[in-house]
Amino acid sequence: MSATSRYRYLFSPLRIGPVVVRNRIVFAAHLTNFAEDGLPSQQHADYYAARAAGGVGLIITEEHSTHPTDWPYEKLIHGFHRTVIPGYRKITAAAHAHEVPIFAQLNHNGGQASSMFSRLPVWAPSPVPDPMFREVPKAVERHEIAEIVAGYGTVAGYCAEGGFDGIELQCSHSSIVRGFLSPATNKRTDAYGGSLPARARILLEIIDSVRDAIGPERALGVRICGDELIEGGSTLAEAVGVARMVEATGQVDYINTSIGVATATLFMIEASMSIPPGYALFIANAIRQAVRLPVIGVGRIKDPVQAERALAEGHCDLVGVVRGQIADPDFAAKARAGYALHIRTCLSCNQECVGRMGLNRWLGCIENPRTGRESVRLPEPRLRGRRVIVVGGGPAGLQAAATAAQRGHHVTLYERQPRTGGQVAAAASVPSRAEFLDVVRNLAAECQRYGVLISTGVEATAESVRAESPDVVVLATGAIPQPPYWAAGNSRVVDVRDVLEGRAEPAGQVVVVDDLGFHQATSVAELLADRGCTVEIITAGMVVGQDLGITLDMETFNVRAHAKGIRQATDLVVLGMAGADGEPGSGSGPDSGGVVLTLLHHPTGESAQRQCDWVVCAVHQAPDETLWQQLRAAPFEVHRIGDCVTPRRAHAAVIEGHRVAVAL
Amino acid sequence: MSTSLTDPVDLGPRRAPSRVIFGPHETNLARRREISARHVAYYARRASGGCGVIVTETASVHPSDWPYERAPLAADCGPGWAQVVTACRPYGALVLAALGHAGMQGSSAFSQAALWAPSRVPDAGSRELPMEMDGTEIDAVVEGFAAAAALAAGADLDGVEINAGQHSLLRQFHSGLTNQRRDDYGQDRLLLTERVLRAVRDALGTGRVLGLRLSCDELAPWAGVTPEMAAEQAARLAGQADYLVVVRGSIYSVPATRPDLHTEPGPGIELCRQVRAAVGGAVPVALQGSVVDPAQAQWALDDGAADLAEMTRAQITDPDLVARLRSGEAERIRPCLLCNQACMVRDNRNPVITCVIEPGSGHELDDGDTAVPDQAPSPVLVVGGGPAGLEAARVLAMRGHRVFLAERGPELGGMLTTAALVHGRRRLGVVVDWWRRELERLGVTVALEHEVAASEMDDALAKRMRVLLATGSVAGPRDYRIAAGARVLEAADLLAQVRSGALGRWPDGRAVVFDPVGGPVGVGVAELLAASGRPTSIVTQDQIAGSQLALTGDLAEANSRLQRAGVHRELRSLLRVVTDDHVLLEDRWTGEQRTVECALLVHCGHRLPEETLYLHRPRTRRAGDCVAPRTVLEAVLEARRVALAIGVADEQAASAAGRALTPTMTGAGR
Repeated sequence: MSATSRYRYLFSPLRIGPVVVRNRIVFAAHLTNFAEDGLPSQQHADYYAARAAGGVGLIITEEHSTHPTDWPYEKLIHGFHRTVIPGYRKITAAAHAHEVPIFAQLNHNGGQASSMFSRLPVWAPSPVPDPMFREVPKAVERHEIAEIVAGYGTVAGYCAEGGFDGIELQCSHSSIVRGFLSPATNKRTDAYGGSLPARARILLEIIDSVRDAIGPERALGVRICGDELIEGGSTLAEAVGVARMVEATGQVDYINTSIGVATATLFMIEASMSIPPGYALFIANAIRQAVRLPVIGVGRIKDPVQAERALAEGHCDLVGVVRGQIADPDFAAKARAGYALHIRTCLSCNQECVGRMGLNRWLGCIENPRTGRESVRLPEPRLRGRRVIVVGGGPAGLQAAATAAQRGHHVTLYERQPRTGGQVAAAASVPSRAEFLDVVRNLAAECQRYGVLISTGVEATAESVRAESPDVVVLATGAIPQPPYWAAGNSRVVDVRDVLEGRAEPAGQVVVVDDLGFHQATSVAELLADRGCTVEIITAGMVVGQDLGITLDMETFNVRAHAKGIRQATDLVVLGMAGADGEPGSGSGPDSGGVVLTLLHHPTGESAQRQCDWVVCAVHQAPDETLWQQLRAAPFEVHRIGDCVTPRRAHAAVIEGHRVAVAL
Repeated sequence: MSTSLTDPVDLGPRRAPSRVIFGPHETNLARRREISARHVAYYARRASGGCGVIVTETASVHPSDWPYERAPLAADCGPGWAQVVTACRPYGALVLAALGHAGMQGSSAFSQAALWAPSRVPDAGSRELPMEMDGTEIDAVVEGFAAAAALAAGADLDGVEINAGQHSLLRQFHSGLTNQRRDDYGQDRLLLTERVLRAVRDALGTGRVLGLRLSCDELAPWAGVTPEMAAEQAARLAGQADYLVVVRGSIYSVPATRPDLHTEPGPGIELCRQVRAAVGGAVPVALQGSVVDPAQAQWALDDGAADLAEMTRAQITDPDLVARLRSGEAERIRPCLLCNQACMVRDNRNPVITCVIEPGSGHELDDGDTAVPDQAPSPVLVVGGGPAGLEAARVLAMRGHRVFLAERGPELGGMLTTAALVHGRRRLGVVVDWWRRELERLGVTVALEHEVAASEMDDALAKRMRVLLATGSVAGPRDYRIAAGARVLEAADLLAQVRSGALGRWPDGRAVVFDPVGGPVGVGVAELLAASGRPTSIVTQDQIAGSQLALTGDLAEANSRLQRAGVHRELRSLLRVVTDDHVLLEDRWTGEQRTVECALLVHCGHRLPEETLYLHRPRTRRAGDCVAPRTVLEAVLEARRVALAIGVADEQAASAAGRALTPTMTGAGR
């Protein structure tokens, strides 16, 4: 079946003002932290080039700041310096080499910033502190508004000189324009505050200023927030009103959409896998019904079928696919060629893209080790056709095998379990984490395509490996759950993996001990609560599942946990336990098998107790080093990767699998 | 005992011109992982102020160590080190490079490889599980130290300081908290450090200094290095080094290495004394940790507790500390507040190091010199005696202007004086005393209880006086319903009442502190109320009370203090209604509502600018909270800029500069 029959809309061209796009897939604006010294970098160019080569219809770059008062994070592109132009030319040439139009997003973050980098007062419509930055901004005066408006024009001019085909005005997640539009942050009583037209006045002035600067040959778009999801903020009806005003200027060529405020409701902007795909399309839909301009819809659209459906159902004219193309730059080309199943589908895990952004690190991807490293050339294979044995079919082993085979080696992978996937399979067995499975599903499919011989249900031993006298052995033997010292072999104390992998079925009162601060404890708690257990999560830390904040799962987990009656307690260290396994427990009866945990509340030094039926530990594991110890002196090359080096998270496994394979 | 801090001291083969050290610390001044021009200017400024020994930011000796993004990598530091030496040597200061490996206290975020550690013990903060090093990695670390030392010698540094203090792999080997090995390196926990010291000495050659930074109390006696163990360790290692810096702290007590103002200055003096006694004069011993008061440091020398004093934060605040001691002007030294608000920069955002009351620190290449006299002195009226007004008056007076400072209240200091009343924040007030002394010395006319009315401002302008507004802030809005009879008090007003002893006139019952900011004020006010014997709750929308205190190292301790004081923490809660006897709270995520008894609500929210005079004469120069209520850092920074912009040129230029803030002046373009 050809792409045109498979996708009636997705691969049809569209005119956006003076620009024609070849398909409806947009690599919409998102932060990358690739800027160096406030300037666009070679990494920017190579990053966008990879997506252009992969067949995307339109690229919109990350934001370019329009004024020195705007510097909310270190690696912001300072568009207001002319010195950006050479970098812009590199970026636009890279996209144009693949005949892909590329727009620049312009922005001033307004009050959603601090003065830490700029050393200047933060500017905003009114002195309303941002919920995240918590710095009182300076209410801009009229002459400062004029300066802001002029700044947009200046930077738009630099973008035109730099070869961009269009400009997008971010008026959505984190923007002074959003600040003016929103009743929550605009308390002005002058001509720029009050009624919606007054709040939109600065936007209309900016549109004039930018159109003057770029002339008729370039496209101009406006990205509008359809619902801020904050108290007293703008809502869909107002967003539609703004879209109408924008269209009425006659100077704008398209509308882009978004939901949420970056510094208040980010978890709804870059939604994790716990929020359904396409969740924000209602905004594009409402705006599209009100205007004739093409409208971009967004919101966790991660496969081409979803994208096609969004178009077919009339929600939007173009579809923003960001994380889908962070994970697989060839998203569009694979879909168009009929190989949608080859797409390395995004998990919406948010660990290395959103997560790293929030921590001021370069953008990455849990399942694409090349993302964010496009400008770092891979070494050529030293030798081809080496015979490689990979032991272990978790993410590390699968990635090593796939990459090694892709680079021309003969790879055999042994997995002792009946299926590959390792701990990922267990993690994804929890309903709210199901999409996590895609990382190993994608990798297993790659292994198959590149001709890796996968033997499952086969335990590789030192003898069996030696017997094959391979050129290279890559050990990815994973980790072994390690009970805490206080568990003392008690059968009522189990590891998260014991539960997820079906070796233990806790019931009744369950205490989950969270040492890891990530999805392990919260996932198993939800699963057990769903099964009818009464669950409490305790941690020595200050917050249960602390790193869920990084992946934007904190809010949704807590809402679900509340509904499921999961209790949480912090600052508690387990000192010991009694009960079960014949010991004199103080459970509900001698045969109850209950246990009692002795806890220390470390801030106060007070002790506490918990009586329960089961304890589930989300604690650090131990590496499975058996083969490493037996083979490290072998007469062939031996490497170890992933959890068998030391147990960590999945991204480390993937990166190490890739690194070892490209070095062969 | 007659040794003065300003006397020279021999460190092995070289002589330092004074006994004051500028110790190794994170700055985020690096360019990629290189020592930058900004570093050079930063260190040179301290050398010019008389510092005896400058130890540059710890450089990683091996690529496996990349603890924070702008952490120097020794292999990339050669040229930068050489420039630091060239810049500092004319002043006589010794320049040493700190060399280290952070081990399991690093981060894999940049190296994207497993952390190295003696044993597989995770860091309590990052929870990242390191890999256990084997012989290959141990050899690589030893070779890395040697190679870095050779590079330092090649750059003609005076020597190196090896980090076995906080954030160090070597300390992790010393400690039972982190070293659970069964091999030689577990049997003899100092073995690796001894190998490193030997290799470094070989690589340095003769004639250069080898210092050792040693954690001598991990404050974790159940398995960590105790002072008793450290005495033995120090005695054994001392002979292999030319000086020793005695530090405190472990993986479980990182903030203790450089505590904030809740800890009195000089917490390490007794430890240093013990270690110095244990090494028996084998090498000079330096005192470290919140040494900010020169008199205390001198006492530590006089009393035999130390031979040198590492006064790092003190010299971030005043680079001329030693010079001022030498010239007998100790009272002119700008006092470090130990606030950790701008100088503690091990922070994902990579803030450039600076100081809340010396914002030129870290910005030596960006900011103009405040001491340049003006060509055209003129009379200036400064309205407001808070930090912005005080700093503006000081700078203007130094530049030769005749300054009249009007403060409406009975004393100087403004909101800083109020902030110093917050529990545990008393030290903030010392800079107000310093400003008062400086203004007196500079002949500034100060009028207290003098409210400048619009007419007086007009008169001043008519007399061609310059006017600078530093009028501060007013209470901000309250976005919750206040029912009839509810008692709601602004934090600043509460603090004033505490001082005047008027707090007791409020009816008994629970005080609820509403803290939407998460900074030091809400937590401190809650502590203060609890200490006064009142049942107290603190309400925050965050999951942790005082969430912003992570940036100053006080977060965990603050929450512990609150809990020990019996303060109830109402977390992730929005305040909806205050009545005469309760508050209605709502869970931020689930929307679930609950009530909490409340006799008195203390509002610790953001404030708004006091703009009356500004609105009377728009575009008048202004600084600090009257622009937007923020911290003392912004007040001082803006005050300097505005003060420097006054009188520099004609009215037009002055008017443009009144906006203060053109990008070229600020380095915003960097």
